[in-house]
Amino acid sequence: MSATLLETKGLCKSFGALEVARDISFRLDAGARHALIGPNGAGKTTFINLLTGLLQPSRGSVHLRGEDVTSLAQAKRVKRGIARTFQINQLFRGLTVLENVCIAVAERLGAGGSMLRPAGRRTDVIENASHLIGMLKLDEDAGRRVGELPYGRQRLVEIAIALGLNPRVLLLDEPAAGIPSAESHILLDAIATLPKDIAVLIIEHDMDLVFRFAERITVLVSGAIFAEGAPAEIAANAQVRSVYLGNAA
Amino acid sequence: MTAATQLAARHRFQWWELLPWIAGIAVFFAFPNYLAFGTQVLIAILFALSLDLVLGYAGIVTLGHAAFFGAGAYTVGMLAQHLGWNEPLSGLAAAALVAGAIGLASGYVLLRTHGLTLLMLTLCTMALLEEAANMGAAFTGGFDGMPGLKFAPLLGMFPFDLLFFRSQYLYALLVLFICFALVRALVYSPFGQSLTGIRENLLRMHAVGAPVRARLVIAYTISAALAGVAGALFAQTNAFVNLGALGLERAAGVLIILILGGYGRLYGAFVGAIAYLMLEHTLAKAYPTAWQIGLGVTLMAVALYAQNGILGLGDALRRRLGGQRAP
Repeated sequence: MSATLLETKGLCKSFGALEVARDISFRLDAGARHALIGPNGAGKTTFINLLTGLLQPSRGSVHLRGEDVTSLAQAKRVKRGIARTFQINQLFRGLTVLENVCIAVAERLGAGGSMLRPAGRRTDVIENASHLIGMLKLDEDAGRRVGELPYGRQRLVEIAIALGLNPRVLLLDEPAAGIPSAESHILLDAIATLPKDIAVLIIEHDMDLVFRFAERITVLVSGAIFAEGAPAEIAANAQVRSVYLGNAA
Repeated sequence: MTAATQLAARHRFQWWELLPWIAGIAVFFAFPNYLAFGTQVLIAILFALSLDLVLGYAGIVTLGHAAFFGAGAYTVGMLAQHLGWNEPLSGLAAAALVAGAIGLASGYVLLRTHGLTLLMLTLCTMALLEEAANMGAAFTGGFDGMPGLKFAPLLGMFPFDLLFFRSQYLYALLVLFICFALVRALVYSPFGQSLTGIRENLLRMHAVGAPVRARLVIAYTISAALAGVAGALFAQTNAFVNLGALGLERAAGVLIILILGGYGRLYGAFVGAIAYLMLEHTLAKAYPTAWQIGLGVTLMAVALYAQNGILGLGDALRRRLGGQRAP
């Protein structure tokens, strides 16, 4: 049995009377390839925000490798190995692709606060970032400002930044949104090259990608876990089909 | 050229970066009658450079940067007036320490906030210091300030002469050079890159695990210390300090200088200070009673048509001609 990397126990979040996460108990094992699906407004991104510390839960707890990290700030959770991408690109638009990834790598290597050497001479940081850029087939754009890139290419930069943090748990919030379908294999190839012990949780509406990627799927509806199981089980679940996949799926 | 070599090249010292310093030395020989004005320009550059670090690079919006300029000026003034500590270089160090300490304390509290709240709080900090200087007349000279300050010759050899600013000019040029080298190293370092990251996307910087607030407080402290050095230079070279060193007019003036030159670009402080003070000087000479109208119209034109400052105009021109981006 795989070791549990990330776990939530009875996670709840309310905004006033609106309950957006309801008693979510969830487990992500080392090496998991897990997908979180659900209709719009189901609370998927909220759940990611609770996992990363961007939001604090109203009740319940988040555990990383057995340690309760519920009260830890976002930056400290990142240092412990949780990295994420955002549903809407959150990039340094005025900087080049290389500089974007370098910022993440520098933070991971503990060089982000260094004042002694020019960033351009940190070969350890640059080589690491360049490797990730190559992995996501962004080499040709490495010297271009991110704001000048098409949206789909920017999505890949989002992922390169997250990978630059060398995470133990990688949370991808609709990573393929905006990536031309012909290029979505780049994303899957990049995930395939990750070390096997990294857990990946993906939120995605592209069911084709979800079923190619995931070994396990959780369905979230109205802030609560509706169903969980292997892709075949989820695809065969009539209730899931009716609330989310539609009868044609 | 790969992106990595492009990045390394951009951070390397470029030959043209010698030009401002050659020009600075040339002014010393070519315009001996304008050295007092030149010294004010150099001090304004240093002050604007300190603001550029927080505003241009870290994106901290402040209207109270004169608080640190004034803190530095009053530090050397009070040390000279009351303790007889009038050695210029150690005075600069004391000013940097005091202004840096105020920057650290106020930054630790203020930088929990953003936007308009931060803007108002920086303004309030400056107003509090100004009022403290006004009320503490026994130490600060109150409304009259401290005129006729006396400072020892620089390195025991070069006296400050209020008629011929030769020593003052070279002193200010040297201090500016050292401070500029420090700021340049800082903004091109990973620390500087992370400040730019904070300015560009705060959410993402948190998500890469950067200790955002600590970085901002450090930048604010360093910037405050540099502004303190500028203020100390002002007091030492002019032999006086008064409430004007801490006022809104000075804070707004340095902001205008930076916007005029172009912020977040290192050399915007140079271009802005020279342009602003020369414009002010020329207009005041030509229209002694209405020069501020000319200044206002010019600034409006810049705000409307050159939103990235004078350097931004040059940048746009270069892009049009197919060149690369400015450093």
